[in-house]
Amino acid sequence: MKSLSHTLLKLALLKLASVAVLVLLGAAATAVAQNPRIQTSQLDALAAKASQTVDVNIDERLMQLTARFLSSKDDDEAKVKELINGLKGIYVKSFEFEAEGQYTEADLEGIRSQLRNNAWSRIVGVNSKREGSVEVYLMQNGNQISGLAVLATDPKEITVVNIVGPVDLDKLSELEGNFGVPELGIERSKPKRKN
Amino acid sequence: MKRSIAIGFMFIALAGLVHTAQAKGDDFGAVVKLIEQFYHVKHKGIPFLARAGIKTTTTLARIAGGPKRQLAEAGSVKVAYFEDQDFNSKGSFTGFRASMGAMLADSWSPLIQVASPKDDEQTYIYLRDAGEKFNVLVVTIEPREACVVQVNLSPRKLAMLMRSPDDMGKEITVDATTHDQE
Repeated sequence: MKSLSHTLLKLALLKLASVAVLVLLGAAATAVAQNPRIQTSQLDALAAKASQTVDVNIDERLMQLTARFLSSKDDDEAKVKELINGLKGIYVKSFEFEAEGQYTEADLEGIRSQLRNNAWSRIVGVNSKREGSVEVYLMQNGNQISGLAVLATDPKEITVVNIVGPVDLDKLSELEGNFGVPELGIERSKPKRKN
Repeated sequence: MKRSIAIGFMFIALAGLVHTAQAKGDDFGAVVKLIEQFYHVKHKGIPFLARAGIKTTTTLARIAGGPKRQLAEAGSVKVAYFEDQDFNSKGSFTGFRASMGAMLADSWSPLIQVASPKDDEQTYIYLRDAGEKFNVLVVTIEPREACVVQVNLSPRKLAMLMRSPDDMGKEITVDATTHDQE
């Protein structure tokens, strides 16, 4: 009798433990899913084929440091200071290739799979002056934007820009050319006139 | 017997401490050594540069915290220069980058890494917190020369350079190794 109750207790504890593990795993998955920092290390294998690679990592601490030490009295510095205020990181990775066909869609799947997550939404009606395709994604928590990602590709180039923090398209275009963000030439497409 | 075992353990522990201190303290030297081993080259110290006719007065003044110092904090500059040697990576620059990244991963953060395998050019900038200042390590490799520079920067100067990380490595290297056009 005693051994039966012992066994039942063990089973109950085991069940409880597995439920706890599942809850923890679920919480971890949600946390990863809602992380505005996208992982780009899966692209690193392309470096061997690329004619140029650029990798910029400006984390939250460096962003805050820069914002803190730029002068509010100097017009130019004050503008940049305001621009980066609240940003938690800027990450850029780009690959240029000498010839076409050096990468495939499968190489980009690791990035796209993260951006397909419900937390990210693709901004429609965005054009770029650059050739090729430019996809812009925003992550929102309620009304607050928590991150932006740009995947710009053409047959000889891949660029991934990930800005963590409150950022929008206007801010992105102002950041171009600063903090390692390349000139993406992104602009909202104008609505077509009806004849 | 027990005493000798205890002494042995103490020795091992001390050796470990010294090793850690060296690893943390002289990453500059470790990077220079890595370049030497990877590319089978030898670096030249500042005195050699002086003999080679390179304008080192300013560099030396900067090393001593002299008046021409601009970006780097007084006495903080370390420079190792590799001149007229072969830095052809034969496509294996990713191996070099990975080795350096692994070596510095514990205490340095990579800020920017640019590589042009076709032109055999690489630039790496790493940052490390140094109390109220920042250590900045810049590694530049070109087909026939390379340079490793470590400087201390004030947060304000770092903030100014951060706006254009692409130019940061060049500015720091030029500041540390050549003389000002005054």
